[in-house]
Amino acid sequence: MRESRLMQLQYATAIAAVVLVALHLLMQGVLFPYSMALSFQHVLSIYRSWIDGSMLEILLIVVVAHGFNGLRIILLELRQSRAWSSWVNAGTLLAVGLALLYGTRTVLLAVTGAVG
Amino acid sequence: MDEVRLLIKRFNPQVDKKPRFQEFTVPFKESMTVLDAILHVRDYVDHSVGARFSCRMASCGSCGMKINDRPRLACYTRVEELKSDTVKVEPMDNFPVIKDLATDLDGFFAKHKEIVPRMVRADLQELDNPTSDYLVKPKEMEEILQFTYCIKCGLCTSSCPTVATDSLYPGPQALAQAYRYVMDVRDEGAEERFKLLDTQHGIWRCHYAGSCSAVCPKGVDPALGIQLLKRHVMSAKPPRRAGEGAKVDLKGNKEPS
Repeated sequence: MRESRLMQLQYATAIAAVVLVALHLLMQGVLFPYSMALSFQHVLSIYRSWIDGSMLEILLIVVVAHGFNGLRIILLELRQSRAWSSWVNAGTLLAVGLALLYGTRTVLLAVTGAVG
Repeated sequence: MDEVRLLIKRFNPQVDKKPRFQEFTVPFKESMTVLDAILHVRDYVDHSVGARFSCRMASCGSCGMKINDRPRLACYTRVEELKSDTVKVEPMDNFPVIKDLATDLDGFFAKHKEIVPRMVRADLQELDNPTSDYLVKPKEMEEILQFTYCIKCGLCTSSCPTVATDSLYPGPQALAQAYRYVMDVRDEGAEERFKLLDTQHGIWRCHYAGSCSAVCPKGVDPALGIQLLKRHVMSAKPPRRAGEGAKVDLKGNKEPS
């Protein structure tokens, strides 16, 4: 993949993360009363909602992609060799895959009511 | 101020284990430059001080060094403007030291050459046997003019934080020159340069610290050129493709406006 495509992804995920966090903050007091954020039943209902679960999954994808690509860039600037680049790129892909798998599992367990 | 306290960082990699500062006292003269002070030491105190210089008028870019912790041209920096009677001179960062203040610029020039710093044209036949002129409109020239002032002194590269860690990064000088040629209406080699720049250690490793622009003695803004070039590299759309470069009939059918 061209580096410019990865940077496009980096910029897009940065904007998406800011939008999602802004939405999250708006929900804690602006869109809904702040007292609801402290209510156990309300919080539980959020975790068990497919809409909120989908938002959590999107946030997971966005943050994992942005974070690990950023880490990849830092590591590439740290050392320069063909072997190091290959290890960093492969390691990033693996880490992204594992984080997404574990995160998705957590979101699914919450949404389906298996925990909580 | 009657005297200048000149601290020169001395280091000969073939002999010394680590660098050290040596102090010299130089008589102050009005309008004296840092290069004048260094040359005074070389001429009258210690002939072994290593420094590179040539034109003494900020045209050749030979005397780049770190003066009071900031990359500057020694011939273009007056002692008075430093507002201190102590002048500390060191070799430029991010370059291997040859001796004392003289640094090895081979790698720097190699990166400059890598970005194809010349007009690339598809019509080689036309280059050999021209039938018309390649004219540039004043507005088109305005876009690239400041970047043509680059004297390849290396100050921007020495101040760049990315160059400090990424040895494969082309550096602000080469990237700004890439922009200069990509935007030149006479050039048709943008796609060739994009392939060189759109890599893991290419243009995207610029994090816009802006120190390159802050230290340029010729007023060039390499950071701006790099950001503008990123837009073209991102879209993979060069301003011109082969055969679309500026051309005008010798009879003057198309005049620059």
